[in-house]
Amino acid sequence: MKDFLTVTFSSFVLSVTLWIIWFFFLNFDANSLSDLFPSLFYLPHAARVLCIVYFGYKAIPGLYLAELWGPLYVIPGAYGIEPLLTPLISVLSVPLALETLALLGFKLGRNIESPLNKRNYKHIALITIISAVFNSFLVNLYVEGSSITTSQNLNDVLTFFMGDIIGTTLVFIVLAVILKPLFVRNNKINPS
Amino acid sequence: MSKFYRNIYDALSMLYGLEQDLNLKHFTPNELKVFHTIITQSHEHDRSVNITDIVENSGMSRSTVYKTLKKLSGEGIIDLEQSPTDKRESLVILNSLS
Repeated sequence: MKDFLTVTFSSFVLSVTLWIIWFFFLNFDANSLSDLFPSLFYLPHAARVLCIVYFGYKAIPGLYLAELWGPLYVIPGAYGIEPLLTPLISVLSVPLALETLALLGFKLGRNIESPLNKRNYKHIALITIISAVFNSFLVNLYVEGSSITTSQNLNDVLTFFMGDIIGTTLVFIVLAVILKPLFVRNNKINPS
Repeated sequence: MSKFYRNIYDALSMLYGLEQDLNLKHFTPNELKVFHTIITQSHEHDRSVNITDIVENSGMSRSTVYKTLKKLSGEGIIDLEQSPTDKRESLVILNSLS
């Protein structure tokens, strides 16, 4: 129970922090809510990937609460879309990616022998890309009422996809730079 | 080690691998100041700067600037070449970031 609460709290804090940073960089204008949807760099996708890959599926409630918190309480109607089910689809895109990879024989582990090694950033990048595909496609499918036909819809799907990938890449690089002194001090960290 | 911290350790290992492959530079405040001075002076005068230019414009002592330049040179960020006009001076050449 204690572990669950720690994971929920950590996931919530990380996701909310990234949401606030993302929101700040958008230079938000209350008169243009629709500009938030979709975004070309969506930082909170990094929280989804990091928390679900490293903490497991028990991070889902914390992430879902964080995804609800912004659009419901900070800026109501921030995305201009249905605020309850779409965040859930977005959060579940990462488990969906992990399950798809597991079905294909790439099970997540922490050793060099693991087909999908959580200590290898290239494997995390693969999970990010597949989850971004699921997120962009499924959310837009839900929003557009189960059909993506016009070029505007396709453009939204592509922007969603690129936004998740660029946002996650930015977060990973910034974290790697910020945490570099920690790596240097604790040279026991050894990715295998 | 608790499961939570082991997961954090795994995440740090992943970020460490990314940092190693990208070879991200982490400047100290002195290195940042010297590097900034080199760039601004090179741009302002449209020529390679020498150590005296950096000392005068960074507000740092000659020995600190010299030590910092040696370190930047060792990391391949800059090259130090003897000035053709003044043998006592070294010119600071910025390397490309490729």
